[in-house]
Amino acid sequence: MMNAMRQRLTAMSVGIPLLLLGAPRLSAQTADPPAAQTAATSEQARIEELERRLRELESRLRELEAAAPKPLEPVAPPALPPREDPPAQPAVPSLGPPVSSDETATASRTGPISGYMDFHLNKPEHEDPVLDFHRFVLLFNHSFTDRLRFVGELELEHAFVSGLEPSGEVELEQAYLDFRVKPALNFRAGMLLAPVGIINERHEPPSFFGVERPFVDTFIIPTTWFDAGAGVHGTIGNGWQYRAYVMPPLDATRITAEEGLQEATQKGFESNVRNVAGTGRLEYVGFPGLTAGASFWRGKTSFNFPRTDSRVGLLEFDGRYHAGWFGARGEFAHVFIDGAAELNDFLQLTTGVNPNIASEMRGFYIEPSIRPLPGIRLDVGAFLRYENFDTQFKMPPGVLPLKQFDRSAWVIGGSYYPDPDVVLKIDYSIIRNRSSLFRSVDSLNVGIGWWF
Amino acid sequence: MATTLRRRASLACATLFVVLASPSSFSQEPNVVRVTAERYTFTPSHIKVKRGTIVELRLRSEDTNHGFHIVGSPFNAIIPKRGRGEATLVFRADSVGRYTFECSKMCGAGHNFMRGTLTVEE
Repeated sequence: MMNAMRQRLTAMSVGIPLLLLGAPRLSAQTADPPAAQTAATSEQARIEELERRLRELESRLRELEAAAPKPLEPVAPPALPPREDPPAQPAVPSLGPPVSSDETATASRTGPISGYMDFHLNKPEHEDPVLDFHRFVLLFNHSFTDRLRFVGELELEHAFVSGLEPSGEVELEQAYLDFRVKPALNFRAGMLLAPVGIINERHEPPSFFGVERPFVDTFIIPTTWFDAGAGVHGTIGNGWQYRAYVMPPLDATRITAEEGLQEATQKGFESNVRNVAGTGRLEYVGFPGLTAGASFWRGKTSFNFPRTDSRVGLLEFDGRYHAGWFGARGEFAHVFIDGAAELNDFLQLTTGVNPNIASEMRGFYIEPSIRPLPGIRLDVGAFLRYENFDTQFKMPPGVLPLKQFDRSAWVIGGSYYPDPDVVLKIDYSIIRNRSSLFRSVDSLNVGIGWWF
Repeated sequence: MATTLRRRASLACATLFVVLASPSSFSQEPNVVRVTAERYTFTPSHIKVKRGTIVELRLRSEDTNHGFHIVGSPFNAIIPKRGRGEATLVFRADSVGRYTFECSKMCGAGHNFMRGTLTVEE
């Protein structure tokens, strides 16, 4: 073996320089005589130098042969570090037979804490700017078994909470147990998010454009909408998901003309369940990039006025789609309040003020966007959103709507993602209403949000 | 001209021979299935394969890190964040049956909705 190596080395050492020297020799034949003589001298010197090096190499090779008593044994390559993915080796691991969740039940395990945060700088027109650490949210999860799991979400809004003072809020937005039967049928109970709209269940800051949530998802759909409840959820067919819960109803005394349903949720604080509301959502996610959903809510809302029969119904449709650089999302929500006239009369009798609760509210928005990654290295996005929301879309008979509550908004902005889980946002909101007396206020908004 | 054509044909034949004769990683071509994860869905969420096939799942995320765990098996992968490549799971589907896969990394409020099924058919 060593002889063969030496022969090869000798052949290469001699052959390669000769080949390299061949080309200049040919070209030198066409040159003038003095130049040819100079080239021949140079070639002679190079050949001598190469021969000297070859002799050195042969000498060193002999020394090595003498020093090595036995041929080298082949050495096993170092073991690769363990991989989480099975390596694509000729011996492909088998998936094994399917095993039910009962058989795979493992010891309880607690997952790491996750969470999201965002803080904003809001500069309303003609007003001082405000810096607000808007949300500090921590998520907890624990698996008792593969079938029985807990998820909790604790939120501190506006950073500071103090009794009897205008301040932020501490909210338990989620705290439920999931009992998994099979993909098509699972039971859930505890503090739940109402499965209504796009934002209520997907509100991590990097997952939506705009510093603040859409107005429709504030006044028409009161995000974050959560309450105690129970229900079922699952996936059916190819790409269909559903949720169906019973939850405490909305509180009619907190519905307002300006802010719609925003403050009407009971939030699991000793929620009155003289009657319960039903809510559900059906989603199609079977086409890449597309999510299309429809949601509803229906429940009696006048538990504080048992003699009146008032119910709130909500129908919502939404869609999100992205392909390549481009994306779009849209949402439509319509609220029906049965017995709004009786509610207004009763509230006027008890408080002295007619709250002008509408019999119907309506809102929608459409938001085209662009996010060129991976087309360009810098992960940035831009969007334009048009919203229309009217918390007095239709009033009880004999009552005229106030035009300042029929509003529209153009929101234009951009996002920069230094990491897919971290986002810097900026936008400008132009808000208009139909009133000639009350002018809506535009605002410049800057924010940072992250998920971990 | 004819000589050039003959040389090119010989080169093409030689290349084809090398490609066909080179040892493959698998005795059969894997059935490649591309899965996209995004809060809070896998697309496709229902995967069907034939028994005996080698399945290569190529997993990509449209947003944050997700996990991909086939319940009852050791197969568990962390899917890189958007724009940071893909994770790959390779296995032989030897047994007929229905498997559940799920996101194994907390990814947001709807994390527990991220599930799907893998069906191995005859």
